[in-house]
Amino acid sequence: MSTPTNQPSPKNWYKWFDPRGRDLGTWAFILNRLTALGLTFYLFLHLIVLGQLAIGPDAYDQFVELLHSPVFIFGELLVVIAGIYHGLNGLRVGLTSFGIAIPYQKQIFIGLLILTIIGSIYFGITMFTA
Amino acid sequence: MDMSHHQKDLWTVTFRVFRQKGNAAGHYDTFKLEVNPDEYVIDAVERIWAYHDRTLAFAHACHHSTCGACGMRVNGVEKLTCITPIHTVAKNGGITQVDPLRNFPVVSDLVVDMGSLYQRMEQVGHRPVLPLPEEPAGLPVRKNNGNEYVRLSDCIECGLCISACPVALSTPGYIGPAVLAGALQHGIKAAPALLALVDSEDGVWRCHSAFECTKACPSYVEPGTKIMQLRKQVVGERFANLFRSNR
Amino acid sequence: MDKPHVIIIGAGFTGVAVSHDLALRGFDVTVVERGCIVNGTSGRTHGLLHSGGRYAVKDHESAIECIDENIILRKIVPQVIEPNGGLFIGLTDEDLAYGEQFIEGCEACHIPIEELKPQEALRLEPNINPNLLVAFTVPDGTFDPLRLALSFAASAKSNGAKYKLYTELKDFILDGLGNVIGVKVLDRTNNKEYEIRGDMVVNATGAWAGQVAALAGADVPVKPTPGIMVAYDERFCERAINRLCPPADGDIALPQRRMMVVGTTSYEVEDLDYVPVTEDQIELMLERGAELIPNIRKAKMRGAYMATRPLIGAGTSGRSIARTFKCYDCKETHDIEGLVTITGGKATTLRLMGEKTADLVCQKLNVSAVCSTQEVPLLSYRQFYTLPN
Repeated sequence: MSTPTNQPSPKNWYKWFDPRGRDLGTWAFILNRLTALGLTFYLFLHLIVLGQLAIGPDAYDQFVELLHSPVFIFGELLVVIAGIYHGLNGLRVGLTSFGIAIPYQKQIFIGLLILTIIGSIYFGITMFTA
Repeated sequence: MDMSHHQKDLWTVTFRVFRQKGNAAGHYDTFKLEVNPDEYVIDAVERIWAYHDRTLAFAHACHHSTCGACGMRVNGVEKLTCITPIHTVAKNGGITQVDPLRNFPVVSDLVVDMGSLYQRMEQVGHRPVLPLPEEPAGLPVRKNNGNEYVRLSDCIECGLCISACPVALSTPGYIGPAVLAGALQHGIKAAPALLALVDSEDGVWRCHSAFECTKACPSYVEPGTKIMQLRKQVVGERFANLFRSNR
Repeated sequence: MDKPHVIIIGAGFTGVAVSHDLALRGFDVTVVERGCIVNGTSGRTHGLLHSGGRYAVKDHESAIECIDENIILRKIVPQVIEPNGGLFIGLTDEDLAYGEQFIEGCEACHIPIEELKPQEALRLEPNINPNLLVAFTVPDGTFDPLRLALSFAASAKSNGAKYKLYTELKDFILDGLGNVIGVKVLDRTNNKEYEIRGDMVVNATGAWAGQVAALAGADVPVKPTPGIMVAYDERFCERAINRLCPPADGDIALPQRRMMVVGTTSYEVEDLDYVPVTEDQIELMLERGAELIPNIRKAKMRGAYMATRPLIGAGTSGRSIARTFKCYDCKETHDIEGLVTITGGKATTLRLMGEKTADLVCQKLNVSAVCSTQEVPLLSYRQFYTLPN
């Protein structure tokens, strides 16, 4: 027959992030992936920062000054938001994986989105006014 | 053209239909139809073939959600087109897009090759006919002259769940929601040979809880729930095996 | 000697049954079908595995065919059948009177029935009309249309039959004398035409048999006769529920998976390829279905569609035509060799239609091979997809 198109393939990964026609569960899936990437990136950054400490106190102090810039504080806020979302959705995945509350998985997702937004506002305020 | 729908106002709907022949690239053809909005999407597709374009290839058989042949994506959403009324996926004067299911190779136009699904269902030994499930109140199964009533199982192997699943999108080896739900029919205790198949990288652990499968299923299977139940069985069995082998 | 090659046009119930029988008898078989398996009339059957009760009064030939084939199908392909039996229920005095003829007819056609008092019937099926006057059990069943056909096709494939789906007959290839020696087909998946030569062509296109035969310069007295089916969203009964009356509109409601399907009506059409559903037919099915199972009024409609039966007969029309089948040897009817047509019939008698057609093909090609399909269990329907072509 013809050259098959439309087949499953790792090359389709970017289609994960197209939510058209999809339901809330896909949003949970997409955000889980994005926050995971973000948190992993932050982990590497964190290791680099610690690496600076190994060089010497002056280099570290210079770096710490950079961290007080608004750009970096915003970056850290993103990490916090990602952590909140990823952790809460992780709980949702954990619960459903044990067969708990599966019929309510959508409601739980909406609940954790709300908690994430509340957390974002709270930490946004506290981190920028510190 | 017999249009005896005199009691219902007809809608004008433009259908944008995916086409592909041979090795050529896919493209979309549009067809403007006068439709009874209470008719089903498969009726519109059939009419496109009958009156507008006889080269259109599409699959359909029972027209009452028991065969699983007519699954398509309508406006990007998986639907069993024989039970999807047009008014739920179209507006009068609007455009409705019809694509083949995802994650199966396209044979032509709206036809996909679901051989992998059937093959995997066979592998997990999914039985198409089963005794009726027990009454919810724990009452005994009603007997039929001493024989159990049996019933065709819920899963109609339509492939909608696999089309909707983001993991099936990227992972050719993933067994898939319908099949994992099918494996639950026997369960791990009754069929320990299934354990190796489902307790694997491409088995139950591939699922990442998008639950699009449950959303897409037209036939009461709830594959997402079944995958989680199967996980419990797998963990339970592995745990029990720890004690069995330590003698 | 090379195996004779038979080309079958149509992968409905008849086509798949003929392919299975001929493949078992050692023929080389190619099936061409313009759509997918059973996408025409066959797929849309409500799935009644007939006990023959419906025909026991006026059409003994069909009734006996049904009960015999019912028993065979339960044996060779149980994996697609809900074998839960059926009831004929009488609601009026006319029904009661018909009941007398019903008992006689079933006796004459060896259809095992048992008379039940209303309370007994209601105990078995609490959702049937509580005002019923009498009930009879019959050995009806429900089957999955696609999977029944796939089981036959899978078995045929395992014995070498080739299935060319999405392959449309364009024309017959004739020799210089007007006899059929092959077919010209179009592969609809890539728009390529090609030829297939064969020793015999079987026209198994059911309601389209007349149109197809015309391509060879022949005709077949088939009357395309559509009827409506309506599916409801709840399984109210475990058994098929039939009205105890002569064949009429909406005389049956049967379960299939988690639905009930009510059918049907009967009228003639010219245009086969698309038959629209009409509101009045839907309303009629609701009325008649609710007479059998009052709770149907509370159920949601899940689907409604038309299926076009191939009825045979020139002259009479509609429900008075026998529901049996017929083989037409084009040599006998139109002096055209190389083509036989099989049409008419009911889903339940598909295997028998395959047998009679295969017998005719064997006779015409001088092959002495006996039918064994009544004994050979069919393969799992999924093998149709897993076996290579």
